[in-house]
Amino acid sequence: MIVDCHTHWGDCYQQQDGSDPTRWLEMLDRYGVTHGLVMPHIGLAHAGRIPLDNNQVAAACARSNGRMIPCCTVHPHDRDEALAELNRCLTELGYRAIKFHPWLQGFSINTAVMDEICQIAAEHDAPIIFHDGTPPYSLPSQMALLARRHPHTQIVLGHFGLFEHWREAMAAMAYADNVWGCLCSPYPAAMRQLVRRCDPSRLVWGTDTGFSFADMMGYRLRLMDMLDLTDDDRHAIFEANPVRLLGLKPDDTRED
Amino acid sequence: MGQIVDAYCTPGTERETPLPPDDLLRMMDEAGIERAVIAPEDREMAVDNASGNARMIELADRSAGRFIPACTVNPWRGQDARRIVHDALAGGAKMLVLSPMLQGFLPTDELTDPLLELAGELRLPVYFHTGPHATGAPTQVVLLASRFPDTRFILGHCGSTDYADDMPAILQASPPNVWFELSLVRPFAMSTYDGMVDEARLIFGTSAPRNVPAVEVEHFNRHWPIADHPGTYGQNITALLAEVRS
Repeated sequence: MIVDCHTHWGDCYQQQDGSDPTRWLEMLDRYGVTHGLVMPHIGLAHAGRIPLDNNQVAAACARSNGRMIPCCTVHPHDRDEALAELNRCLTELGYRAIKFHPWLQGFSINTAVMDEICQIAAEHDAPIIFHDGTPPYSLPSQMALLARRHPHTQIVLGHFGLFEHWREAMAAMAYADNVWGCLCSPYPAAMRQLVRRCDPSRLVWGTDTGFSFADMMGYRLRLMDMLDLTDDDRHAIFEANPVRLLGLKPDDTRED
Repeated sequence: MGQIVDAYCTPGTERETPLPPDDLLRMMDEAGIERAVIAPEDREMAVDNASGNARMIELADRSAGRFIPACTVNPWRGQDARRIVHDALAGGAKMLVLSPMLQGFLPTDELTDPLLELAGELRLPVYFHTGPHATGAPTQVVLLASRFPDTRFILGHCGSTDYADDMPAILQASPPNVWFELSLVRPFAMSTYDGMVDEARLIFGTSAPRNVPAVEVEHFNRHWPIADHPGTYGQNITALLAEVRS
């Protein structure tokens, strides 16, 4: 079992395939990746299209035989609208996680509305995954403070600090026990340090697959090969940690 | 496979970039890379400029021509910066590397003006690390290049990752004295560059040991075949460096 914890049901796939994930899943099959945490795309860039995008992601995931795990988004600028949409996603549409891209969406995460969202996420055991590595709204340290205020909410750094903020991401994980790191974007020399120096039980892997038609999975799997991971590390990063993070059950983990 | 030149490597000694020269040569051999430009490591960029430059020159002298030394100087050194650059060129340095984040300046700051004028006189290409957010936007380098048309600039990393959306506009708007270095650009993103810029201005690099050269060559070759793009993979950087006057 290999779980990719950072994918998108991209606008390009929606345009091409509607809600049919067959071709999207073929990308995973090519590399033996069994599951993907699937985030929106156009809804991250266009607040007015969030409900529609959440519907589209849910529809595609529903046709994936449990291989695509849906991750919704909302926009915290309008509190009532955001909380209503979040509740709809978590209670009606079967969403298992929440994604924010504060840089792209244009909001600060250390706010009262985000505190409410974190509480709701904790009640549903839904982790929150952030785009991170980009100031001024998407720094790992900002996410660390949010995580410390909400110890029952699991906070995932979706890019582990990117190229320049990976040391800050390590500090964020040390600061709050509920901060996780997704190995999706730092260069291999940084990832070696992250694997060696961070809590191995809070590491997952991702590719950004689906953001466009580009084949990102082959390259990012190859980079993982460069890290000289032990079998235990590989099991934790690709399977055990994401299963625990996302609350996957046996029905979700079948690979047929 | 044509002759590949890696435009940027860091044979460092500490932190995440330790890379003894023999290991770098082995990585180059595995990747099919003939020659590599080597640049000082982070501490040498920030404070130990002269000793870092001397270390690169010494490594290159012992490499039978496979390493091409780059030098650096912190613009905050003022008048002393000219001497450091001249010393490095006398030793054989072929490229000046500036790292606005490590060296603490904005690319558009007039602080760099004397250095850029000197680099223009010496035909010394100036490699700017781009990508860090406040002090490494590619657009900042484009503005600078417009102000110094006689100085040749290399836009390192093409703003990877979060300035990628600026790149199509930059590729089209950049003055002719800007070249684009591709280390840290994702291989699968090369379609962005296809047809957007004169290929004579694209330069392959790996940023080893941050990246693994064999993997970068393997995946770049899939998306931007070496056989079709010999300029990108070596000829363009070679031509740039050939004009340097010591």
